[in-house]
Amino acid sequence: MSVQLVFLLAFGLAAVWFGIVVFRTHSMVRSALALLFSQTAIGAMFLVMQTEFLGVLQIMMMATEMSIMAIFMVMFMMDPGGLGEMDMKHQRKLSLGAGILAFAGATALALLADWGPIATEIPDAGEQVRLLGFELLGRSMLIFESAGLTILTAMIAATAMAVQAANRPEPAAPDRGPDRGKQHGH
Amino acid sequence: MSTVILLLSLALGTYVVAVLEQWASTNRLRLAGPVISALRLLGQENILPRKSDRLFFEVGPVLLLIAALLSLAIIPLAPGLIATDLATGALFFNAALAYVLVAMIMAGWGPDGAYGMIGGWRFLGQLIAYAMLVVMPITTVAMRAESLSTIDIVTSQEMLWNIAYQPLGFALFVFAGMAMAFVPPFDLPVATGELAGGVEAEYTGARRIVFRLGRMVLILSVSSAIVVFYLGGWLGPWLPAWAWSMIKILSVAALMLLGGRMLPRIREATLLAWCWKLGIPLALANIFLVGILVLVVPL
Amino acid sequence: MAIELIVTLIMAAGLFGTGVYGALSQTNLVMIMMGIELILAAGLLNLVAFWRYLHPEAIEAQMFVLIVMTVMAVEMAVGFGVAIARFRSRGSVEMEEARELKG
Repeated sequence: MSVQLVFLLAFGLAAVWFGIVVFRTHSMVRSALALLFSQTAIGAMFLVMQTEFLGVLQIMMMATEMSIMAIFMVMFMMDPGGLGEMDMKHQRKLSLGAGILAFAGATALALLADWGPIATEIPDAGEQVRLLGFELLGRSMLIFESAGLTILTAMIAATAMAVQAANRPEPAAPDRGPDRGKQHGH
Repeated sequence: MSTVILLLSLALGTYVVAVLEQWASTNRLRLAGPVISALRLLGQENILPRKSDRLFFEVGPVLLLIAALLSLAIIPLAPGLIATDLATGALFFNAALAYVLVAMIMAGWGPDGAYGMIGGWRFLGQLIAYAMLVVMPITTVAMRAESLSTIDIVTSQEMLWNIAYQPLGFALFVFAGMAMAFVPPFDLPVATGELAGGVEAEYTGARRIVFRLGRMVLILSVSSAIVVFYLGGWLGPWLPAWAWSMIKILSVAALMLLGGRMLPRIREATLLAWCWKLGIPLALANIFLVGILVLVVPL
Repeated sequence: MAIELIVTLIMAAGLFGTGVYGALSQTNLVMIMMGIELILAAGLLNLVAFWRYLHPEAIEAQMFVLIVMTVMAVEMAVGFGVAIARFRSRGSVEMEEARELKG
């Protein structure tokens, strides 16, 4: 058992465990933060696999992303603290079956496929960052730029969907002060 | 050996920052102040709020401390005097400090109190304001150093410190750094005047000590980052390298704490408007300018 | 022996299965998005594992990981846009109540 394998197993099991906690806990904030720690464990697995740049990036991005997820959970759920033990699941059998089937299929593929020779030599972290930079601004520049454009489009689209239409009257919610942006919480 | 030196300088730095913080908030310079406060807090009862989310309540302050300590791991105090020299050091600094947000949300949500919760979520809004202004100036620093490693960033400033090479980036980074360490006037999550302590409000005793300690380390970490990225790290004449690092870091911390007290606390909405309408265009202009400078006058 | 690769792939399969279960079983839009995030994270893990253990010379793989991370962010932004719009007009983001989408 190599050290790498031990760490991969530990972080992998942590990631899966936190992933399961996401759908088991009743508290919404706990659920969002469990997802965050699952993603962080995946970032740690990247680090174990010597992909330093991507690992650090994953750990950084997910912290903010999942915190934003948490505030949306609190805003949109009827029972954010999980004290009311509300039931929020449907089609239990179908989804459990689909989940197990997906897991079993992917596992079988991983075990049965012939992966061929395993690479041992990989570029070190600094070299990887350099190569990735040349890749991003060289051959893959068009793809990278279109990713940027996609983000811009998504930002505009999401904002356009979310802002209050100017000609529509306010929904009949109780007025809670002058700050419109904070009003749609509850 | 270098581990011991690093730990000692961490302890010393944190203590001095704590003294400075007390000086800034009470206007009295007492060298024994932090010890007295710590002893007083230790004698206090450890109150556990009713219906609290116990897990978050306990983990929040500890996570704050851990995140701040991790972000210090990539700060070089002298050539060779660094905890880990990562190839992606500048990015790692961000990644570690992103968990300050997570800690604040946990600590705010955990105790089931209105002030704490408002404080925690406020910090999320604050992060959306400052996050871009942290990352974009770091980009320009990395552009000049042609590396993300903090040691390379310091050595790239041998001819001219970044504060002179890219003053706009420096101004933005200090602004964003102060918001990141929530020192006044950006202390929205723990606003003592209006939120009765905000995230800190429900914490007493030993847990509050951990929280305060985490915050001091955070301030130390942000000021070290300012020094490493913009003020030439350990570079300087006559004195040894570590002395320059110490002097610079502590004076930046002192300036941040004492200068920030003079300004009125900013409103959340105003902060967001300033950062997105003014700060981000300026940061983009800074990237453009430094890009030209790096090509035309590569010092 | 490709034991590290296989272990990583099995962990990714576990995340994928959990994500599929979550996305199908939850009734709330935000929770469904969490399931999708887990599925995408499993994909990320596979990509990195394949890069590390099979083709470390192909740096384009890391590029692909960046694109998938972009997709995750975009999915969240648009999803929350939809959630806000729906909450405005209907007062909830429970998907059991969104029967009108069936046509």
